[in-house]
Amino acid sequence: MSTEARVGNLAANDWDGGAFPYRVGHRKLGMWLFIVSDAMTFSAMLIGYSYARAASDQWPTPFPFNPSIIFSTVMTLFLLASSFTMVMAVRASAANRLKAARRWIGATMLGGTVFIVLHSIEWSHLLGEGLRPFGVSAGSTFAKEWAERWPQAPPLFGASFFAITGLHMFHVFTGVIYLGVVALRIGKTRHEDVEISGLYWHFVDLVWMFVFPLIYLMSVDMTK
Amino acid sequence: MAQPSIRDVFQKSDLILMGVCVVLAAGFLLLTAKNAASAGNFLTIDSLFFTAVCLLLALTFIAVPALTMRARGVHPFAVPEELPPARAAEHVHFEGGTRLFGNVLLGLLGLTVVEVVLAYIKIHDLRIFLTILMGLSLVKAALIVAYFMHLKFERLSLVVTLVPTLVVCICLLFIVFPDSFRTLKQRTNRPTAAATTGEPE
Repeated sequence: MSTEARVGNLAANDWDGGAFPYRVGHRKLGMWLFIVSDAMTFSAMLIGYSYARAASDQWPTPFPFNPSIIFSTVMTLFLLASSFTMVMAVRASAANRLKAARRWIGATMLGGTVFIVLHSIEWSHLLGEGLRPFGVSAGSTFAKEWAERWPQAPPLFGASFFAITGLHMFHVFTGVIYLGVVALRIGKTRHEDVEISGLYWHFVDLVWMFVFPLIYLMSVDMTK
Repeated sequence: MAQPSIRDVFQKSDLILMGVCVVLAAGFLLLTAKNAASAGNFLTIDSLFFTAVCLLLALTFIAVPALTMRARGVHPFAVPEELPPARAAEHVHFEGGTRLFGNVLLGLLGLTVVEVVLAYIKIHDLRIFLTILMGLSLVKAALIVAYFMHLKFERLSLVVTLVPTLVVCICLLFIVFPDSFRTLKQRTNRPTAAATTGEPE
């Protein structure tokens, strides 16, 4: 029996106990609680980064608007578009249009995969320029430029960049696999299962809405 | 008629063999990905040869279980013609249509463009830049949670349980910022606004 159908037989007052006070199944509530805890994890990292960033007068701002910021904006657009296709998948699933739901989830996975590929290109580019998790590699392009412009730069730029975007990329990666499983098993799932995978995907998108301005836009090169 | 499940049709030994084939195929796909990630220049004869061989081997291994299942009329991932019972028993209430979600998407895209334009025109005061960016991001987060994550259409009890988390996170952010600006002032001994570009004067 569905959650809502069972709820109909239970006490009218949510606070009497023994009811479904949130009117959601235990799996969906579990995903919401996971999202809350994951939001705390990302907040801790972003707050730590923001503190170090704002307290330093020598924090490097090495991303030129063209191409770095334009590139990461395109990544953002793909992630936003994939969130839209995901909500359309949930809508199709609610109407029991399973084939359409599977196609929409496929489009979402495509958006996520493009995001990962673009992100990897960007990472390998930055590593090639000499950016490392704790500083810059000696003799690289970045090392020369940074020694001139930010001689006392804290070594945390690479650490915060790789840790935060890496953790986010890991979430996108697991999300694509999760959605793949849901899409393959769509004939056996309940609607709520599709909705739960959608919650996870939208959360990954939501986190990027903070990572993008804090990591990328705050690092835009002010001189170019 | 309902589809036969894999366990009805195959013996355990068949299933183990097919599982081994799937694992091997996945392994070769992983090798391809590893090569693409670490080859440096991907478009070389060596790299392309390696990729082609690995893909061919992956295809060979996946072909065995795929063709066997097809021959015995098992389609494990097919969408059934009639709804599965668990789904049919659900009473789904879903609000919002293409128009609403399209508008939300447009709103999110618009706010993103505003943020990028702010980065383009370069606001040198870090405090102002940060405040505007965080304000816009909060609006975007609220749009995603309310419409895409459907919290607007959930019960109020769920909303009042989840939303305080976000509020607490933001309060924590504002608790530490004054101290980071104090530290900056101590370091530079000059007004923070001038020192925020990262450029020595």
